[in-house]
Amino acid sequence: MTMAGMVLMGIGVGLVFLGSVGMLRFSDVYSRLQASGVSDNAGLGLVLLGILLHSGWNPHDLTLVLLLALMLITNPIVTHSIARSAFVQRHREEDE
Amino acid sequence: MGVISVLLLASLAPAMLLLWRGPTPWDRLLAYNSSSNRIVVALCLFAVMTRETLLLDVTIGYAALSFLGVVIIARNLERGGGAQ
Repeated sequence: MTMAGMVLMGIGVGLVFLGSVGMLRFSDVYSRLQASGVSDNAGLGLVLLGILLHSGWNPHDLTLVLLLALMLITNPIVTHSIARSAFVQRHREEDE
Repeated sequence: MGVISVLLLASLAPAMLLLWRGPTPWDRLLAYNSSSNRIVVALCLFAVMTRETLLLDVTIGYAALSFLGVVIIARNLERGGGAQ
């Protein structure tokens, strides 16, 4: 169980690192959103799942599950909100 | 587990760099959101490593507050808030 947790955390950290390199390398707001949104959600979720598996059953694991659910709900909302904001503002500037 | 948290904090550096030099406000907003996500998970790792369970409650508050801040700033930029 500990080994499975370490493997999950390693995969997650690799995804997060690739996502941050992609955020620096890409040139547009939308491609940066794609790099950061996908890899953050998957990578940080995998790291949290790895923490859950690594330490066995504890009473505070419910807090970690709650945090995982919160991040899985709020990250797509944030990505959508930033993309919509950039899109609407750019079209408003083009209209004027 | 220490190696994982060091790598997570090292991946915070490109996000901070994007926060510093991002050309548009949306780049900065995105970098702020992803760096706060990394800080939340690193805080979780620290809390589990040192068995400080109070810090886990702090992480939930931090995640909720950063979500609210990013969404509110994005709505404000959408209405042309920072432009005037």
